Amino acid sequence: MASLPQLFEEDIRVLDMALEDLLSRSEATVTLLIDKGGFLISKRGSADQIDATTLAALAAGSYAATETIASLVGETNFSSIYQQGDKFSLLVQNVDEYCLLSVVFKASISVGMVKFYATDTTQQIAEQLKSAQDRDPNAGLDLSVMDVADTSLVFRKKPA
Amino acid sequence: MAIINQATKELQVKIVYYGPAMGGKTTNLIQVHEHVQTAQGNKGKLVSLATSSDRTLFFDFLPIEAMAIKGFKTKFQLYTVPGQVIYNTTRQLVLRGVDGIVFVADSQYEKMSENVRSIANLEENLGALNMNLADIPYVLQYNKRDLPNIAPVDYLEFTLNNRDVQVPSFTSVASKCEGVFESLNMITRLLLHKFINQGTRAKK
Repeated sequence: MASLPQLFEEDIRVLDMALEDLLSRSEATVTLLIDKGGFLISKRGSADQIDATTLAALAAGSYAATETIASLVGETNFSSIYQQGDKFSLLVQNVDEYCLLSVVFKASISVGMVKFYATDTTQQIAEQLKSAQDRDPNAGLDLSVMDVADTSLVFRKKPA
Repeated sequence: MAIINQATKELQVKIVYYGPAMGGKTTNLIQVHEHVQTAQGNKGKLVSLATSSDRTLFFDFLPIEAMAIKGFKTKFQLYTVPGQVIYNTTRQLVLRGVDGIVFVADSQYEKMSENVRSIANLEENLGALNMNLADIPYVLQYNKRDLPNIAPVDYLEFTLNNRDVQVPSFTSVASKCEGVFESLNMITRLLLHKFINQGTRAKK
């Protein structure tokens, strides 16, 4: 089951730096770190122009589906998907058991170059996530600051 | 499993609507999307990967941010699975990383065996992901209560809610948005309580 360690400011800083670094080296438009369950963990670049939350969910779904297709044809060493477009292309690369790296880049940029730089980035991210996991493998979620006395109001229906 | 980002005080949870084909899972999401009150910009787009005949092919997806939880920005991601029996692989994919489940049952008598099969299939698929229905917060929603040929609630309870621990159940007419928010708020409540208890345990 996919589960992530709790991420602290230090983790997020390192992850963001890795994404930022990839962005500047590869001249990509957007870089996203995605949990395989479909959550967006972090984003860098001109992500305001795109719906990053939906992109994360669909990229995770697409990766999972393609991974399953690969296993149907007996391919076990599956690590990335690449969608080539007219204006923009998309690369989704495996980071570790739990996470994916997604890069949106101009179609004029070579996918080989993006992949080359992304390999470094995935390693950096994987190391940081591992150290977060090792820090306290059994850490629970301390949500005691949350005020959830009455959850019947969490989602409210608009008055008719 | 939910993602918690202590740096940005953000919690993300995944809720999956499960159940037999044409039972109203997608309708639940459509109704939440249409009727939910949110602060501006906190409601995402409803994405539907469906066939031309309105059957979900992969999943529907609705990101939504809760208003009333203080301290943490809580983002919910609501998914549905395809109900058709043949799409089981897809259902397994959508279940990855699930935190809570709303099981949408079709109340009509003739759909009872499909309901039972679907819940058995859910248990099986969770098993394949090393999860267990007993450990995951879930609620039951008995949908389509406005149709003529429906089973009484007691019968549905006996058929579908007959495990060691009985879970909250709701009657609904999803197409009229009855019971939709009740189910969603209950699963939210179960989920948050589970997380908070885990946090308290970890601190001891």
